[in-house]
Amino acid sequence: MRVLVVDDEPIVLKSCRLVLEAEGWEVVSAASVEEALSLLESITPDLLLIDVKMPVHDGMYLMRQVKERKPGIPIIVMSGYPTRETISKAEDLGAAIFLPKPFTPDELADTLRSVAIIKSQDE
Amino acid sequence: MFYSTRSKLLAGFLGVTLLVGAVSLFIGVHLIDQNVFGEALNRVQQDLSAANEMYLTRVKQVKTSLSITTLGFAFVSSVSERKTTDLVIRLERMARLAELDFAGIATEDGRTLCRMGPYSFPGPASRGVNPLVKVVLERRVAVSGTMVLDRDALISENPELAERARIPLSPRPEGDAGSAHEESAGMVIAAAVPIFDGDTLVGVLYGGILLNRSEALVDTVRETVFQGETYQERSVGSSTIFLNDVRIATNIYGPDGRRALGTRVSPEVKEYVLDQGKLWADRAYVVSNWYITAYRPIEDIFGHRVGMLYVGVLEEKFARVRAQALKMFILITLAGMLLAAAAGVFIARRITLPIQRLIRASQQVSEGSLNPELGPPANSEIGVLQKAFGEMVAAVGRRRAASELRIIQSEKQASVGRLAAGVAHEINNPLTGVLTYTHMLLRRKDITSDIRSDLQIIAEATERVRKIVKGLLDFSRQTKLDPEAADVNRLVGAAISLVENQALVKGVAINFHPGDNLPLVTLDRSQIQSVIINIIINALDATEPGGHIRIFTAASLSGNGAAQEGIEITFADSGCGITPENLNKLFDPFFTTKGVGQGTGLGLSVSLGIVQRHGGHIRVQSEVGKGSRFFVWLPVDRRAEHESVGG
Repeated sequence: MRVLVVDDEPIVLKSCRLVLEAEGWEVVSAASVEEALSLLESITPDLLLIDVKMPVHDGMYLMRQVKERKPGIPIIVMSGYPTRETISKAEDLGAAIFLPKPFTPDELADTLRSVAIIKSQDE
Repeated sequence: MFYSTRSKLLAGFLGVTLLVGAVSLFIGVHLIDQNVFGEALNRVQQDLSAANEMYLTRVKQVKTSLSITTLGFAFVSSVSERKTTDLVIRLERMARLAELDFAGIATEDGRTLCRMGPYSFPGPASRGVNPLVKVVLERRVAVSGTMVLDRDALISENPELAERARIPLSPRPEGDAGSAHEESAGMVIAAAVPIFDGDTLVGVLYGGILLNRSEALVDTVRETVFQGETYQERSVGSSTIFLNDVRIATNIYGPDGRRALGTRVSPEVKEYVLDQGKLWADRAYVVSNWYITAYRPIEDIFGHRVGMLYVGVLEEKFARVRAQALKMFILITLAGMLLAAAAGVFIARRITLPIQRLIRASQQVSEGSLNPELGPPANSEIGVLQKAFGEMVAAVGRRRAASELRIIQSEKQASVGRLAAGVAHEINNPLTGVLTYTHMLLRRKDITSDIRSDLQIIAEATERVRKIVKGLLDFSRQTKLDPEAADVNRLVGAAISLVENQALVKGVAINFHPGDNLPLVTLDRSQIQSVIINIIINALDATEPGGHIRIFTAASLSGNGAAQEGIEITFADSGCGITPENLNKLFDPFFTTKGVGQGTGLGLSVSLGIVQRHGGHIRVQSEVGKGSRFFVWLPVDRRAEHESVGG
């Protein structure tokens, strides 16, 4: 299973890579929305884990692009500012689940696992 | 603008005063005019009557003196015997005594026997019968009165008389070219008395006075009637005898200082008096002055109007009386108006002073003062206004104090909220790293137990940081309300059931006394529930085991000014209470009295924010050692959703 993690914060990228690779995920990371979009031209991940607040284009923009280009990939939205508005907006745009930062390795792993199970059930 | 009411009042007062003044002046002037003028007219008419009486007396005198003469025996025998020389002497004596201008005796056939003067003995060829004599001969009684004798008659009587009668006429203003330049006829007061010798008529005695140029009669009238009264060295009264419309005897003086003989009366008077035979009484311009005048016609023996008798009084004298009266009257009126105006100013000031004080007071209020000077209370409607204004300002003050408190509270929350949001967001990313690496390390099997316990401490500390940040975020999370109609009693009940276990563990009793018939309240259930839970947990923390918490609900009007329908939830605990200095900081973000790690100091601050967003408020009463009471008031209708604080 391959997951594309998008966050402008290197520590978050490194943390996710550490936790998820330990769980057996193939982790591809992108430090910006632009980088993620160019990566998505060559690869198709099973899951997307994206941050909301990023420079230039934000996670919401990326979600719209993904829904257009590669619909069907479940998206997990994570944010350090989990307001009700942000959560409902993410859900409106088709986020599978909202993951508030900070999270423990278990919380992260459990979230991805549950989304993956739902996806496999859908298929 | 500022003085417009006052000036309007003043203008009103002055306007009324002026109007009243003008009307009374108008009426006063009219009355004075009428009185003075009417009085003058009255007087002049009486004077004319007196003058007429004197004229008639003079006629009578002439007649009487002639009559007495005819009674003398010697005189009668002289006439009978035609002793003309003796008679002329007698005639002249009589004329001198009776002040006659002419006298004569005619025979019973009408011829003149003799007369006084230069032609004492006319020849038989003398002119016809004297008209006076003719009347006496026909009627056989004495006759007296006014007569006009033409020039020939005068000459035959005495050429001197004819000469005296001649009066040159002043040219008429309108230039009556056809009229004569001289009056040559004479107007006389005359009488004729039959002379009887026994029963036989032996002759007629006649005599008279020529009025032309005669000063005696008119001057006597002036002296007697007007008693020589003068005004500015001019005689006030005047008297005139007219032959037709020409002045033949007068004491009216022309501009040259001579008696205005030969001048004429105005056509109006002539028409009125001479032609129509009426009595004239009015003001008239006579020769060179205005007079209050009266004219009456003079009829001759035959009943023809041949002239006029006139008296007049200088109008100037009355004009002066009138002017004085007017002056006095105007002065009194003006003084009255001045007094009224002063009263107007005073009253306007009294009316407008409190209004101006109110205006100043409202300016003071608009400049920020809530304790404006209203001045002494007026005892009128303005006093009521003053009182209402004072009460209004006081109410505004109370409300402003309340809203200022709310604004300060809100701003505190807003700034802390913004800070918290920014900090939380930034902290959460590194916190993710800390959490991840700590837990990943803890998973490793190759670490010693003391390292593991150290890592455990890091993990727990980080967990605390995470909670604090979450609290901060909750505080700053200005979520919109999701309002729906709710039963407050059920909401409180549900909240209590969530904390019941905690209370049970601590040994604190929670008693709920729901109010009856409470209206539904529009509110955000989950947010208000968190408020209720927060306050109950605070109460639990403050209450020792064995204590109790009582919760009431009741319908209540809002306490701050506008009476608004709402519901109040009261939380009363038997806890330690809050010190007065802490009471003021109770709702400040991060204020807490709990131990480290026990509370973030955001709970009440967040609760207040939620209640305020519902349009409600929280009040606190507390007594150290006895317990605290929290009152949460919520409006039934949220009139205006209080804007979310911060963002």
